[in-house]
Amino acid sequence: MEHHLTERELIEYRFRLISDEQAEAAAEHLAGCDECRSRLEQLSRKFASLDLLREDVQVSQELISQVLEQAAKPAPAKVVPFIRRPWVGAIAAVLLVGFAVLIGSLTQEQLAKQEFASGPELQQTTSSDQLRPQMEADKGKEAMVVASKPSASSEEVKSLVEAEASSKGLMTAKEPAAVVQMQPAGDLAPAEVRTDMYAMAASKDDSRANESLRRGITAGVAGPAGGTGFQPVENMARMAMPQPPFAPASAIELVTLPRRESVQLTIYNSADLTLVRERRNLTLKKGWNWLQLMWANTLIDPTSLSLEPLEQKDKIDIQQLVFPARLRELGRWLIRSEISGQVPFEITYFTSGLSWRAFYMGTLSQDEKAMKLEGYVVVGNNSGEDYENAQTRLIVGQVHLLDQIRELAQRQYPYGSPVPTGRLGGAAGFGGARSPVITNSTYTQWWSGAGLRRTLDTESLEEAKEIRKEGLSEYFLYTIEGTETIPNEWGKRLLSFETEDIAVESLYKYDEERWSDQTIRFVKFANDKKHNLGLTPIPDGDVKIYGRADEQGRLSYVGGTSVKYIPVDEEVELNLGPARLVKVEPKLMDFKTESHVFDNNGNVAGWDEIRTYKIEMTNTAALPIEIEITRGFSTAYWTLQTNIPYEKYDVTHARFKQELEPASKRALEYTVRTYHGLREQAFTPEP
Amino acid sequence: MAQPRMEKTDQSLLDAHRQGDSAAFGELVRRYGDSVLGYLVRMSGSRERAEDLFQETFKRVHEKSHTFRGPQFKGWLFKIATRVAVDGVRKNKQMKTISLNQQTDCAGQDGSEIAAMVASDNSCNPSEQAVKAERTEQVRQAVGALPARQRATLVLAYYQQLSYREVAAVLCCSEGTVKTQMYRALKTLAQRLPEI
Repeated sequence: MEHHLTERELIEYRFRLISDEQAEAAAEHLAGCDECRSRLEQLSRKFASLDLLREDVQVSQELISQVLEQAAKPAPAKVVPFIRRPWVGAIAAVLLVGFAVLIGSLTQEQLAKQEFASGPELQQTTSSDQLRPQMEADKGKEAMVVASKPSASSEEVKSLVEAEASSKGLMTAKEPAAVVQMQPAGDLAPAEVRTDMYAMAASKDDSRANESLRRGITAGVAGPAGGTGFQPVENMARMAMPQPPFAPASAIELVTLPRRESVQLTIYNSADLTLVRERRNLTLKKGWNWLQLMWANTLIDPTSLSLEPLEQKDKIDIQQLVFPARLRELGRWLIRSEISGQVPFEITYFTSGLSWRAFYMGTLSQDEKAMKLEGYVVVGNNSGEDYENAQTRLIVGQVHLLDQIRELAQRQYPYGSPVPTGRLGGAAGFGGARSPVITNSTYTQWWSGAGLRRTLDTESLEEAKEIRKEGLSEYFLYTIEGTETIPNEWGKRLLSFETEDIAVESLYKYDEERWSDQTIRFVKFANDKKHNLGLTPIPDGDVKIYGRADEQGRLSYVGGTSVKYIPVDEEVELNLGPARLVKVEPKLMDFKTESHVFDNNGNVAGWDEIRTYKIEMTNTAALPIEIEITRGFSTAYWTLQTNIPYEKYDVTHARFKQELEPASKRALEYTVRTYHGLREQAFTPEP
Repeated sequence: MAQPRMEKTDQSLLDAHRQGDSAAFGELVRRYGDSVLGYLVRMSGSRERAEDLFQETFKRVHEKSHTFRGPQFKGWLFKIATRVAVDGVRKNKQMKTISLNQQTDCAGQDGSEIAAMVASDNSCNPSEQAVKAERTEQVRQAVGALPARQRATLVLAYYQQLSYREVAAVLCCSEGTVKTQMYRALKTLAQRLPEI
């Protein structure tokens, strides 16, 4: 390179912005050109001032907490304004039309499938004599009652049936008799007549309508309150299904849920979430039944409510769950039954406000080589509901929740449209008319294979409860033996496990970069069979460690920490905080620089720094100990000279392990050479 | 606290975070917190603003974690931090805030507010401290006045010690572009930096 280097070339050379060949050529020129060297030096001095901004920036714990808090908040719903994106509206319109066409075609299919409404099982006419006495009798038992409430007069019904039948030439002598027989006093609607109407309409071109009339079907469909709601026959022909009875907002003879026979709680500790499964015996009437459930002052998610019959499933159909207007915290199920009598049902729903947490108590033996570990769980109930004799199961594992149940439970009516939440294995939430959030298949899937359905045992309350543990996909399930009564706003502590003689190692650590000049004490063990553990993972919780102070078994507090979830076969180190009886004091004994390398201007371009440290370790405890000392060198280019064995922990750190006898003092010395600037090239890593 | 024997990789922490493990996310924040905050302080010229940007960065990491395809989490993180910082600088530019604590000519070309910070070095006497603080402030202003892209390149390559290839990955451009940006930044700084 014959010409002098330009400023650009100097900057590019100084900051390695050019290729190796170009850099080599520039270096060659600089070696022989005082002027360029001087300019480069001047530039280097300027750029050296950039290092003034190399202040040590550290994130405060408060800032980290704020970030984590922010991340824990649910993401706000995204609102897509239609005005800005007109194509969204167009797509929505196309979908709407498509949906309407689909419904239309389904309607046609379903008109031909009115087996349930017109099935032979229903041909036994439900008389008013059968209906009313049982309804009244059941009220006293808090049982559910039938809401078959025809609202038009029998004459109106009769005339309608006759008119419809005659208009199609399908009239038989039996049907009016059946209808009239069904009419109780008052404003009840002749629902069975309407059912027949639809059946007739569905089978316009075949003989089904005629057949259904001949059978005298009397499936009880409650009509609109007040006797209004009858539609012209022409309109009925267009309807898809037997019209379910309308759920009036008030003044309806409904009975709330009867008392629980049993209840099972599955509490997740990672989210404010509990799955409740209740068993209740409901008394059904043949035909349409209304069942009312209220959840005022509780934290139940109304969209998660699900009702399933446990027996006679083929004869009972849960049609829908409605939330009547103007009535808060209340839902009504519409149930279609082919039988009369008592049937056990299972109601499932999610609630928040129930929680559990684990905590542990460890007691070290006098020689600190063994530990007794007791695990406890505390179950708390702030859900607003008392749970009596509940089988309680605790789930360990993260649950992905899109909505917080507490928020769902407290939101204002109406509860909104179906929103698939994808929580817990894809269970979808539905509000409005259709109820099941968790279908039978969904929760069977969760609990399948674990043999979790147990007969509830109410007699073992006096004995210490065993907590059974089972793996469940990525979750882990702890089932508390027997049942527990957990009243609202109460908490309960239960022993989870108790293990003696867990072999532990006491370990002291010294690392200035992590704990400044403090020596930290650890207790180390593993959750495996060798340590008398390892049957189940250990959930997160607080740990308190005590030591036996004397032969009489008096305890002294050693330290406490919180432990994260410990899987089986995983090793754990419990940080018990700063040690009082063990001290580590490093001292810098010597410092020098050597092996200086100069550039062509005679400036220092590389050097070595040699530091000699003496580390004094003092053990004033009455037991032998092991200390692990980690030393950092702030550079990857270092070599160590010492007689003490050490381990290269990572690229910038070395680690020494030393054992100290009781009440003893020791020192270790090492010399570290660090390479800087161009001397880094001379560095040869140790094998 | 339970100390796992092996330190978890960024990828495994991110996977755990995606599955809802909030502790894993916390570990990622702690692992890269200092580095990201340092970067944002140098990008924004203000600790206070950097903390806001820091929160926004990790918020985006939290929200966009499912989009991470690897292999380098650090590069991806700095990519997000850079976007956040550049957006933040733009917003700040629109706001035109000027600190009452600084001289009228202290506002950089991009209008960024650079608050004076006196270095607390106990080894120096007061006059040395004052000189050092003044120089530091000059450097801060010079860096703060660089266009956002050049500043990001400089901070990533010089202060965060990323290789030019890594900087290119963060800034989604070629290595050649990074070197050009770096050169432009240095050329500007050569005019403005004080000599030590």
